[in-house]
Amino acid sequence: MIPHYRLILPTLGEFVWNEAISDELLRFQLAIKSQLLEDFEYEIQETRIGFQTLSIVWKTSIPTSEITSWLESMPTKLMLKSLSEDCWKVPVSYSSSTGRDLKTLAESKKISVSDLIFLHSSVEYRIHFFGFLPGFMYLNGLPEKLHTPRKRVPDLNVPAGSVAIGGSQTGIYPSESPGGWHLIGRSPIRLFDLNSTPPVWAKPGDKLKFSPISEREFDSLIRHPKLPALR
Amino acid sequence: MIKDPAYLKILKTGPGTSIQDLGRIGFSQFGVPYSGAMDQKAISWVNHLLKNKEGDAVLEISQPGFKAQFEAPTLLCLAGAKTDCKLNEKPVSSFGLIPIQEGDTIEIGAFHQGSVFYLGIKGGFQPEKFLDSRSWYQGITGESSAKKNTLIQYFTTQEVPSITNSKAKWDTSGFESEILNVYPGPDWELLEEKSQKLLSKGIFTVSNLKNRMAIQLEELVPNSLPEMATAPVFPGTVQLTSGGKLIILMRDAQVTGGYPRILQFPKESLSVLAQKTPYQKIRFSFLKV
Repeated sequence: MIPHYRLILPTLGEFVWNEAISDELLRFQLAIKSQLLEDFEYEIQETRIGFQTLSIVWKTSIPTSEITSWLESMPTKLMLKSLSEDCWKVPVSYSSSTGRDLKTLAESKKISVSDLIFLHSSVEYRIHFFGFLPGFMYLNGLPEKLHTPRKRVPDLNVPAGSVAIGGSQTGIYPSESPGGWHLIGRSPIRLFDLNSTPPVWAKPGDKLKFSPISEREFDSLIRHPKLPALR
Repeated sequence: MIKDPAYLKILKTGPGTSIQDLGRIGFSQFGVPYSGAMDQKAISWVNHLLKNKEGDAVLEISQPGFKAQFEAPTLLCLAGAKTDCKLNEKPVSSFGLIPIQEGDTIEIGAFHQGSVFYLGIKGGFQPEKFLDSRSWYQGITGESSAKKNTLIQYFTTQEVPSITNSKAKWDTSGFESEILNVYPGPDWELLEEKSQKLLSKGIFTVSNLKNRMAIQLEELVPNSLPEMATAPVFPGTVQLTSGGKLIILMRDAQVTGGYPRILQFPKESLSVLAQKTPYQKIRFSFLKV
């Protein structure tokens, strides 16, 4: 689980893991990231996580050899914290009016709508990182049965809060945006709030579970917004 | 110095006029893009000449047909694209310092060279900061582009600054140069040799699909690579889509992406690229880290 390090620009480096996406890999990514931020506190401008990568924007260029030897000292040094057991419960109204592709997706999978909802809402997903839009969470753990190629022609207008499936992933659109994923429902939860510090409620490494709610509950939560519950 | 708030009133503008500073750094972990001036060299030059802070906010204009009026005296500095520029209906140079009196109007007409124009102001424009930056970005700031009657706050300077005929010249040599320095991207090694050769030797054309998020090139590059696991991307990352399109990510680009990242522009050549106009030719010159 020790990554390979390379420089992309004199001030941009990247750790790469040739490992399948997993909780175990994420555990190493997060551990390396926090150790780096500790050991190079004054040299790092920012870090970014991908499914198999960790990028470092350096304030000044750090020689690759320095990072390589830092990596070599890693196994003894690394505090491998286990991933969080915190699981956010995110309410979702699954219906044809909140998710316009729900029926067609179920039909294409030859399963009933309620089976699709059950498959999607019965598993715990792992939050790997934020990207795409402010507050958008990259989740791992979509049951294989629900993997679906993205739409050939993306929708111009996906409503904020839409819960969707694209490829091997599922996610919640935090704001209105164009998008190529299949929409199966909508969550009334706000995913990004400028007035909060940090502006998101979850963090990489946490878990997330969708919990089905009625359209009536959805409307009421839109009127009286709440943060998701931790379980 | 007395700092009285005053407003710049937009009288007319095309799309794509916005307030920008150096960008929103440190929030990509929440999915927030950098934003900030497309031509980072130009904003630095403007703020330097105005004796402003390095990160003071400027107005970025990318279409002809702009006109605005100042409510109170100040000092401007213009840079970026070479444009037809008028102060109170009279032609003035579109580069350098211009003292402004109450009620003065400034007008930006045709773009002759380059594609992004900057209007800097003494002390910087003062729209509200969100997440440490004044750069306008949809969903983060209240506004994402200036429209007719938009008011933008600045601080008037009471003492009219004396302008020593500044010798500092805005360097426009980048506007014509075809060659742009790039580094191989993280996924460069995965490309077929044929595609690598094409990128090293070929001439490419800037398309008219160009905005603050990305610049697409006309030519296609054969791509047999699969989609990648989502990975971090930055301004200057060149993505190769499954259809073979080359997409150069700019300041408002999302912070992660799933296409192979085949090239990476350094900051300096990204500023040069930002000034390229549709149909201009470019070639890549490869640097090594």
